[in-house]
Amino acid sequence: MTGPATTGRPDGAEHKARPFVTDLDAYRAALRAYLTSEPSLNRWRDRHYDSVEERIADHAVLMGGLYRGRWNRYGWPEEAGGLGGDPRHRAVLYDELSAAGLPVPDPHLVLETLGPAVLRFAPELAAEHLPAFLRGEEWWGQGFSEPEAGSDLAALRCRARRDGDRYVLSGQKLWTSHGATATRLVCLVRTGTPESRHRGLSMIMVDAAAPGVTIRPVALASGDNELAEVFFDDVEVPASRLVGAEGQGWAVAMYLLQYERAMYAWQSAAVALRRLRELRKQLRTRLAAGGGLPDGARRRLGDCYADIVTLRARSADTVRRLAAGQAVGPEASVDKVLLATAETGLHDLARDLLGADFLFGAAPQAAQWRADWWYSRAATILGGSAEVQRTILADHVLGLPKEPKA
Amino acid sequence: MTTALTTGSGLDAETRELLAGSLRELLAAHTDAASIAAALAELGWDEVWAGDPATATTLLFTEHGRALATSRVLDDVLLAELAPALPAPTGPRAVLYPHPADKGDLVACGAPLRGLLLGRLDGVAEVVVPAVDADSAVLLVVPAAKFADATAPTGGFDPQSGWLAVARGPVPDGISPVRAADAWTRAQAAGRRALATEIAGVCEAALALATAHTAARWQYGRPIASFQAVRHRLAEAHVAVVAARTTVEAAWAMAGEPDGGAWAARIAKLRAGRAQADVLRHTVQVLGAMSLTLESEMHRFVTRAAALDALLGDHLSLAEATGTELLTGTEPHPVVEI
Repeated sequence: MTGPATTGRPDGAEHKARPFVTDLDAYRAALRAYLTSEPSLNRWRDRHYDSVEERIADHAVLMGGLYRGRWNRYGWPEEAGGLGGDPRHRAVLYDELSAAGLPVPDPHLVLETLGPAVLRFAPELAAEHLPAFLRGEEWWGQGFSEPEAGSDLAALRCRARRDGDRYVLSGQKLWTSHGATATRLVCLVRTGTPESRHRGLSMIMVDAAAPGVTIRPVALASGDNELAEVFFDDVEVPASRLVGAEGQGWAVAMYLLQYERAMYAWQSAAVALRRLRELRKQLRTRLAAGGGLPDGARRRLGDCYADIVTLRARSADTVRRLAAGQAVGPEASVDKVLLATAETGLHDLARDLLGADFLFGAAPQAAQWRADWWYSRAATILGGSAEVQRTILADHVLGLPKEPKA
Repeated sequence: MTTALTTGSGLDAETRELLAGSLRELLAAHTDAASIAAALAELGWDEVWAGDPATATTLLFTEHGRALATSRVLDDVLLAELAPALPAPTGPRAVLYPHPADKGDLVACGAPLRGLLLGRLDGVAEVVVPAVDADSAVLLVVPAAKFADATAPTGGFDPQSGWLAVARGPVPDGISPVRAADAWTRAQAAGRRALATEIAGVCEAALALATAHTAARWQYGRPIASFQAVRHRLAEAHVAVVAARTTVEAAWAMAGEPDGGAWAARIAKLRAGRAQADVLRHTVQVLGAMSLTLESEMHRFVTRAAALDALLGDHLSLAEATGTELLTGTEPHPVVEI
């Protein structure tokens, strides 16, 4: 398989000056011109896949092309394979891909949560592995949740025992996004005592191919292997693979969550707007053929669109704050709640308005809406459930009296 | 695109806080439209406004909402957009707003006038009326005296609004309509941004009341705000307020467009209208029976927010109109860029 052609710009000409680093509008304009005129990109438009594995692999090819064209290197530092710039460049990339009717490549979703944390807390690991990630040659999974540690992440038990210049991992992770195909797993593990809660945690990068790692895909109700469970049976990992210091895992996870709640929200809003355009097209086709819509369809469509605009407005503010080097605290939970509202709202709307097409349609578009509907349910569960987000807001933003401890 | 928030670009944070404090004092001390207008003039509000309309509008309408104030400051917002299209005024002007029962339809030229006034017409010389003539918006400048016997207090859900209804007003004979569809579009957009901000102010005050009440009210041996069901309702209310605020800020970023950022302003009004429904549902519940009585202020937030929602398009109508346009032609506009 081949990726899209490069920009055709003689390599090095733009490299020296790199006006895009400081001129976001110029970057946006050039990117838009490329995405809307490059014919080799058409294979990723309206494309449906039979499996998640096939989809990720094909998206990785798109990533490789974006890398060769230098487009997805802005927003990442040179030391890690980037060309400079800040998170706004990445946000523009995701938005312009969606506006051009293209997918945000799947690996970019996890890259946005793990990439900034690895850059910040393990620059040498970022230098070693991020370039390959950006080229689409490898991607990572995020190993946080466990069977006994979902919302209560600090209860996790997967253990890493220090043994000389390495750690020995034993335990289990669950609900690992992209876990079934990832090259590396960035895992939150316990290095302290079992009772140490969030103080005794560390973040470590594990090769999925390391001896003792067993990965079993977990199929969503749609049949798609979006997630995986991972077993570690005395897996040896060099101590140099720590992301942050031993015992600093919780701080790394909290840093990472800023991006997961902000940039992921922006990505989701960009994709949601593309999907709303596609839904609109399907509904217009139906109306043109003399079909009807259920009661309240227009009002709900208007409301859903307004929710997506709101999510764009809020997450854009947060991305700008991250780009300006400001820490985003507990108020990022607002972004997450708005994300879940837009995401579940859009897919419920598609389900209700497409009606029998959604339920029984054989066309690839119908299958896509069904799979996406199931995945949209995760918006109120993964990365901190809807309930966790509301509790964070109640505790830390509204300053309400705390709930009594059990 | 600018990276700074438009509402923060003109005045620094300290100045904004000072101005907000002055406005709070002003609205506490003055309760009728005429004295609020006079006090704002004394404060030099016109200069603040001219220097940074986004910040000035945000500050004034936020405090106006929090204080549940009644005045004609919204008229000023619309008239600033309408004035360039109109002949020189013969005296102070007011605006006749489309009647909420007409669901966004403007009154037809030649028909008896209908709509809402924000207050009594004492000292007002002319009333500017948006109307429709041959499918196009026009403006009628009607002498205020013609409304002499045509107004009645709106009463109803929010008896303290001070608004007047014109149910079957004068037929504007001999008044030539001014073709001003663009000016009306811009005026409506500006009015919607101001109203969305005012609704957010009402919601913030209601949420503050609910937060304070639930932290102080004990049941089962602990503050009711320590119960998850109550905490989560208040968290959702907070999210709704932030959503409304953020969307109106995004709408300000488009106010410089030739149509005054009409599309984004409508989305902001829709979002704020929905926020008031959500926020007040939660705040009424957590205050318990108290919220249903005249002893608590909560009912005033409920009714004022509902009245403000109805002005220049309630959230249900705006959502319906937006959805209809999305289906019939308009591509979903991204509104916000990074």
